[in-house]
Amino acid sequence: MSRGTPNISSPLTPTDDALIAAIRGGDERALAHLYRLHWPMVSHFVLQNSGSEDDAQDVYQEGVMVFYEKVRDGSLELSCQIKTYLYAVCRRLWLKRLTSKSRFGVRLLDDEEHGPYLNTGAEDDVLAAEEQDRRFATMSEALNSLGEPCKSLLEGFYLLDKSMQDLTAEFGYTNADNAKNQKYKCLVRLKKLFFTHYKEEPI
Amino acid sequence: MMTEADYYALFEAYAAGELAAPARADLEARLSADPTFALRYADFTELTDTLRALGQRQQARQQLRGIHAAMLAAEAPAEIETPAAGKLTHTVHPILRISRTERKLREFWSGHRATVGVAASVAVMAVFATLLGLDLWRATKTQPGYQALRLEINKIKRNQRALSTIITQGTATTPPVEPSKFSGTGFALTSEGYLVTSYHVIQGADSVLIEGRDRQRFRAEPVYSDVKHDLAILRITDKKFNGFGRLPYAIKSGQADLGERVFTLGYPREDVVYGEGALSARSGFEGDTAFYQISIPVNPGNSGGPLLDERGNLIGVVSGRQNDAQSAAFATKSSYLVRLVDSLAATAKADAPYHLPRYGQLAGSGRPQQLKKLRDYVFVVKVYEKE
Repeated sequence: MSRGTPNISSPLTPTDDALIAAIRGGDERALAHLYRLHWPMVSHFVLQNSGSEDDAQDVYQEGVMVFYEKVRDGSLELSCQIKTYLYAVCRRLWLKRLTSKSRFGVRLLDDEEHGPYLNTGAEDDVLAAEEQDRRFATMSEALNSLGEPCKSLLEGFYLLDKSMQDLTAEFGYTNADNAKNQKYKCLVRLKKLFFTHYKEEPI
Repeated sequence: MMTEADYYALFEAYAAGELAAPARADLEARLSADPTFALRYADFTELTDTLRALGQRQQARQQLRGIHAAMLAAEAPAEIETPAAGKLTHTVHPILRISRTERKLREFWSGHRATVGVAASVAVMAVFATLLGLDLWRATKTQPGYQALRLEINKIKRNQRALSTIITQGTATTPPVEPSKFSGTGFALTSEGYLVTSYHVIQGADSVLIEGRDRQRFRAEPVYSDVKHDLAILRITDKKFNGFGRLPYAIKSGQADLGERVFTLGYPREDVVYGEGALSARSGFEGDTAFYQISIPVNPGNSGGPLLDERGNLIGVVSGRQNDAQSAAFATKSSYLVRLVDSLAATAKADAPYHLPRYGQLAGSGRPQQLKKLRDYVFVVKVYEKE
């Protein structure tokens, strides 16, 4: 993260820096601000390149998600402004969607003002995010094929961050240990489902 | 023996830091010593991490959705409240108000404008090409139904060298001569060198050349043209020409009868061609009484050919045919020719009188004998045009 590196001519503006710091600190208002700030740019870009309003929203949310998750991990290495980074990510995402939809080669109309969107590291980040998406998709599938009550139990504990006591009450177990044991059994089954599917799928 | 679930309980306690110091040391030692055990722990971590990350992702997605909805909601009031308000309490931005339909139309337009543009231009070009094509097609068929029978010969092989020698004999310095542009048929009118052909054969002629069966060529010039009856009279101007001799046919000044057997000689190609039929009507194309309709198959090049009856009297001059009817050809009646010659003879110069043949020599003989006599008086009329 370039905030920590002693970069003399940091391309990040002070507002960018502050924003990243605030988002990392879990400030929802900062995220909302960032979201609102760059939405017109991406929306315009997608609309200009034969997308709809809904497409723009999907692409933008996905793009912000990539950015947001990297910020939260602290693994974001920005060599440009947030604006440029987001543009590059969303551009890549939209290009991918267009190519999968179209039989012909796709040429994008770019807004020149958003500067050099190449070499922003966005390409790699998008690829990593795709890998992550695949992992999540497999996991969701595994969870769905797990069946009740395992699915709800695991979702409750890991995804929704509920405490073991709440879950014990919710699922009507006699005590927390029973619930815990059930959860571990569920985990073992999930593990089999997840890893068989995840590993065998081609990258 | 611990089950997989028991290991998971242990791992979770370890990850949460709830394990007592000795148990933890024991576990760590085992992790570093036993690779299978370490792998099992790694799998557990990946599994739970993925689960947690998935939870976070879902939460973040929810959050972003909320933000987007809030953003749209913040924009919305400007769109919705203005029309409802009876009095304007705040500034109105009319540009922001885009209806749903209009937005859809705009999206469609921005997405497909290139395609639409191409399609539109293709359509426009197709329309104009069709119109232009139809126009050209119509222009080529200026006279629907009627076709004048002069032959366009820019493809027919010709003996050009012989031709140019003749030309250069006539005038000392002649530019190189192109092959003739059209040809028709003509026949002798008087023994002094007058000929008859159709007007449309020599129409627009720059110079006219007569070529007989023996390939002898004479220069000729149009003397008189009757556009209405499609007749033209030529006179041979060549110095080496010394008369046709006595003509074997007489020119009939009256009208021929319906159903008479008639025949013609002409040059639709390089050789003389005989055609035979009957006089099928005493009026021509669209009831023109200056013409006969004859049932002789004729072709371009037959124009200006003589039409003779059984006894070898000249009764007409072949002029054209009807395209959309079977074997309907037309010939100018000889009575018009006689009348024309009479009027010309009244004003003729003394050195070139008209002496029409009065008596034919063909009556009574068989057709081949008739043709043998006749063919020396039928000529190719070649027409040259200035470019």
